[in-house]
Amino acid sequence: MRRLTDNWRSTTARLVLIYGSFFALWGIVVIGLIHWQAASYLTRVSNELIGRQADYFTMLDEPTRRHALNDYVSLETRQLNAWGLFDAHGKPLAGTITALPPKVAVNGPVAIVPQGLERNDGHAHVSVRAAAVRLEDGRILLVSRDTSIVDRIGTIILQALLWGMSLTVVPGLLGGWLLTRGPLRRVHAIREATLPIMRGDLAQRLPVSRRGDELDMLAGIVNAMLDEIERLLGEVKGVCDNIAHDLRTPLTRLRARIYRLQQQFDEDSSENATLEACLVDTDALLNRFRALLRISELENQQRRAGFDRVDLAEILREVHALYLPLAEDRGQQLELQLPSLPMIRADRHLLLEAFSNLVGNAIKFTPPGGRVDIRARAAEDGPWVDVCDSGPGIPVDQRVAVTRRFYRAESCRSTPGSGLGLSIVSAIAGLHGYTLQIADSDRGARLSLHCRDAANV
Amino acid sequence: MLAAFLLNDTRLMPRVLVIEDDDVTAREIATELANHGIDADRVAEGREGLARAADPGYDVITLDLMLPGMDGLSVVTQLRAQGIATPVLMISALSDVDERVRGLRAGGDDYLTKPFAPDEMVARVDVLLRRHRQQAQQTLLCVADLELDLVRHVARRGDTQLSLLPTEFKLLEFLMRNAGQVLTRTMIFETVWGFHFDPGTNLIDVHIGRLRKKIDAAGRAPLIHTVRGSGYSLAQTD
Repeated sequence: MRRLTDNWRSTTARLVLIYGSFFALWGIVVIGLIHWQAASYLTRVSNELIGRQADYFTMLDEPTRRHALNDYVSLETRQLNAWGLFDAHGKPLAGTITALPPKVAVNGPVAIVPQGLERNDGHAHVSVRAAAVRLEDGRILLVSRDTSIVDRIGTIILQALLWGMSLTVVPGLLGGWLLTRGPLRRVHAIREATLPIMRGDLAQRLPVSRRGDELDMLAGIVNAMLDEIERLLGEVKGVCDNIAHDLRTPLTRLRARIYRLQQQFDEDSSENATLEACLVDTDALLNRFRALLRISELENQQRRAGFDRVDLAEILREVHALYLPLAEDRGQQLELQLPSLPMIRADRHLLLEAFSNLVGNAIKFTPPGGRVDIRARAAEDGPWVDVCDSGPGIPVDQRVAVTRRFYRAESCRSTPGSGLGLSIVSAIAGLHGYTLQIADSDRGARLSLHCRDAANV
Repeated sequence: MLAAFLLNDTRLMPRVLVIEDDDVTAREIATELANHGIDADRVAEGREGLARAADPGYDVITLDLMLPGMDGLSVVTQLRAQGIATPVLMISALSDVDERVRGLRAGGDDYLTKPFAPDEMVARVDVLLRRHRQQAQQTLLCVADLELDLVRHVARRGDTQLSLLPTEFKLLEFLMRNAGQVLTRTMIFETVWGFHFDPGTNLIDVHIGRLRKKIDAAGRAPLIHTVRGSGYSLAQTD
């Protein structure tokens, strides 16, 4: 339904409608003009004819006039012509017309009698034109001619107009609708193509056909814009990476100096404690830079050299064992639910890193006493791994943002962390062609990694 | 200093060959090793490094992977081909797991990413030194009254048998094999779990804490020590 109204909203449809209306109006004007011209010409001809005939009959002597009047009727096979002879008071004397219509003035101009004349030959009452003339003996001669033919011509022209209109307007509308369908289909294709771009995948481009029409020109402009945006974002990222890379060496040296200095103080001295705090901060900085560089390393990694058949269940068991003590220390339950899973093609180390991040995150954001579930489920196009927690959850409007670098939800600013964990997971998922889904669980957040079979990617 | 003290050798100072083309890094390594009582010789070029590495007097070699002349991977491959088993610590700016795997496969014993914390580097050299000296495969590890039987998979403190989970057993084995040495969290994570990513600060602490609770039970002298700013060490203090 929506598509249908969309169809009529397009430029082509509008043009077709406007053009069609003009065409119809023009057609009406032209045919009206023809009708008017034809009708007035026919009327003039009939009037002249009737007038001249009436004059002619007055000039004849009585017997000749009778003959002429009979011929006048019988020459016209369709009884178009009729006459009537009346005395000076209007009483019918001869002829088929039996009453003198009041509209027709004697010796006046030719008049129209739309309702027809009273006749004794049973001829139908149709519109006629008539003229009455007074003969030299005082009698009145009325001659009439059927002019319904003019109306009939009008009807024929009107019918022609209607047929012509319908034959023009219907295919026009149909053609217009068909014409708009093609471009609209492309608009829909463009809409489809923009969805991943809006989700942040800037490598996507709008489809451009070989036609090079207006839509293609627009798509080309948008694509050029996207190229530029991608380049700028890449530059920003590159600058970030360079800063992280360049700052790592001096930071490492700084850390070494602090460490050496710390060794010179007593373990219980206040200097030692201060320097220890310095070390913790430096380590936090270094870790953040390391994570940042790790992400760009993962994002730049296109090859799948490290890919091998790996046992997902084994990896999940390892991650579970790795984090179980941490969860228990925080009074949390960490449960692992494993159905039998097929082997998948992946990089074992990267998957360990990804799940480790997911589980570590879930534990971090779940309050003490909560629970974290690692659930695997098999699916036709590759297994799913859900990590569900009973934490505050991730608001819908922040679900895309949390996979961005450094993004941290407002609600968890107080929790220590770099905001890079999910970016790493997202980068690893991207490298494998997997998808990371963020949703609600019954208690908190659910982060799912769909390990789609690499062979299908 | 610990390393020097622990070596049961006629030579007092262990010797390390540093094959590194960057002057600043080389000086850093040498200084840090000297601070820990380790003698360091430096070579800046790959081919020369390979020639010098044949000297059996070296206990450990640190090897930069990006070298002029001959790259680090070729150096270690040729070294192993010549039957020289001196432990090699590879140092590289490439942090990728694949690079690490390639380095270790070529014959390297450990892999450290630049930039590195000097104490981390020294800790790794220490572990390699220790391994170099412990050629014979030990089946029983002892520190004070703590015993770890690697064949029967039994841990004992005094006359109490300890029940350890498999990971805890591996962790204790690593700590005891390198008793008296500082082991960083990264080294523990890499060796015991075989993972090469940043696990977050307190994950290893929690695992060590568990092990500590089992080993250093009440009334016994603590054996696992936290080394501030670095990591952990298992040693008898008296």
